[in-house]
Amino acid sequence: MKEQLMKILNELRPDVDFENETALVTDGILDSFDIVSLVGEINAEFDITVGVDELEPENFDTVAAMLDLIADLAD
Amino acid sequence: MTLISVEFALLWVITAILYYIFPLKYRWTVLLASSGVYYFFSGLKTGYFMLISIAVIWFVALVLDKYNENHKQYLKEHADLTRDEKKALKAKVQKKKRLVLTCGLVLCFGMLVFLKYFNFLSDQTFSILRLIGVEGKAPKHDLAFPLGISFYTLQATSYIIDVYRGKLRAEKNVAKVALFVSFFPQIVQGPIGRFGHLAHQLYEGHRFNFTQFKYGLQLFLWGLIKKLTLAEYMGVIANEIFNNYTEYKGFEILLGAMVYGVQVYADFSGGMDMVRGVAQVFGIEMAVNFERPYFAKSVSEFWRRWHITLGAWMKDYVFYPLSLSKAFSTMGKKTRKVFGAYIGKMLPTFLASFIAFFLVGVWHGSSYKYVVYGLWNSIIISGSILLEPVYKKMLEKLKINTDCFSWQLFQIFRTFILVSIGRIFSRATSLTASIEMLKNMFSEFNPWIFTDGTLYTFGLQPRQMFMVFIVILTLVVVSIMQEKGMKIRETLDKQNMIFQWLVVIGAIVFVLIYGAYGTEFSAASFVYQQF
Repeated sequence: MKEQLMKILNELRPDVDFENETALVTDGILDSFDIVSLVGEINAEFDITVGVDELEPENFDTVAAMLDLIADLAD
Repeated sequence: MTLISVEFALLWVITAILYYIFPLKYRWTVLLASSGVYYFFSGLKTGYFMLISIAVIWFVALVLDKYNENHKQYLKEHADLTRDEKKALKAKVQKKKRLVLTCGLVLCFGMLVFLKYFNFLSDQTFSILRLIGVEGKAPKHDLAFPLGISFYTLQATSYIIDVYRGKLRAEKNVAKVALFVSFFPQIVQGPIGRFGHLAHQLYEGHRFNFTQFKYGLQLFLWGLIKKLTLAEYMGVIANEIFNNYTEYKGFEILLGAMVYGVQVYADFSGGMDMVRGVAQVFGIEMAVNFERPYFAKSVSEFWRRWHITLGAWMKDYVFYPLSLSKAFSTMGKKTRKVFGAYIGKMLPTFLASFIAFFLVGVWHGSSYKYVVYGLWNSIIISGSILLEPVYKKMLEKLKINTDCFSWQLFQIFRTFILVSIGRIFSRATSLTASIEMLKNMFSEFNPWIFTDGTLYTFGLQPRQMFMVFIVILTLVVVSIMQEKGMKIRETLDKQNMIFQWLVVIGAIVFVLIYGAYGTEFSAASFVYQQF
């Protein structure tokens, strides 16, 4: 799952070090346009629906948090 | 009663004394009573509109909360439900909740739309009808515009949407909901607080903390400096150029736009510092509304630093819901087929941004100039995303180093100019005037106005210009320090007491001597209170 997510992230923003960043949304590294694109890709790739309610910084600040969110929604 | 008035200072002092005398548990009632007193003296005649909003969101939130809790309870009691059954149940509950939320939103926004836009829309409708030969007098209301309605409506509706989304539990006590909506420092120009961040701070009593108290007073003083020794003086130049725009050309117009940009920043962020300072005296941290917007390197970054609480409201309650909606997702699939993967994927997001900025524009007022102001920002942001690949190729071909200070400085300057041009629409007396100003801006090349003494002909004396220059320089230095992560008040707090007092007394004397008072200034009013 991580590999698929990393592929999406690196295609979306090749300039960002996703492995080490810990505040992707809080620090404004990912903006709202990035988030919308990212959610679209995640929904398609993992066959889930990330809703507006889940668009909290803590769900997207790190790769680990995104993986947790995907796992939760897939359950 | 405005922020800069003896009455407000009295209210602040009396509230602070009573707040710390009252038992912790009841301190919120002091804030509520003071908010009532503030509204009584400032906008009593239209106060019932706020009372209706409070009643509506209190009731709607309770109903939504009941649905949320019943849903949770049902799931708990029926743990054996299949995924499809759970989905169907959720959809059923959502439908009921959506109906309740819609009623709440229609009532709250209905009052705002009616009071703010009805006369304008009525006028426009009848102008069109006249074109096709239908005569008649446009119906209009003569109701006064309630104090702070543009701000408190957004704050109130964010509460019920968050309860609808299950992020919050509803507050049962209507008086506490009333305090959240009407907290007196924020009523006139925000910040637009969120229940999750602000409400518990208002309700739980805070013990007296001298450092926090001192920080609050210092922040208020800093806001006062911005407002009285910068915004007001910048306003003299901006008013001269915008009110007599036919007499100015070329760089004079650009100067007017840039000066207005500085004025509105000093005015609004100064006002916010004062509001946040007032709240800090009670131990309450209100949302940050500005983070050095003129250091932004792009227009989209500017909007993440400027009027942050309005931008965040639009992002969370308009942009995201639209972008992630089924309708926009379907649209995206279609546009990908027509325009290809890159543009096709982005088009629905651009449309959502377009709608959000249109709303930001009209939120400022009922005039076409605000519509264009909003759309200008949206077009620049969408355009820059769309053209990014072209832009990158250009930079590579021209071998421009983008990893250096001079390039960042260029980006900051470019953003400032783009934002300033947008400001021509929002500040000009009308849309026609703004178009005329833009035409005049490009009609003459006269950069010598910055050196030939023309700067002294816009209403400020050389002495005042020098003082303004010093304040801007101080503001830039302070902003750079903050940008580098330095906390100014904490740093000052670590200095010797004599130095701390010298700085504070120096600032007070500076405001008293150089502050803009008198009939040619409007020190008591703020630009954003009119919105």
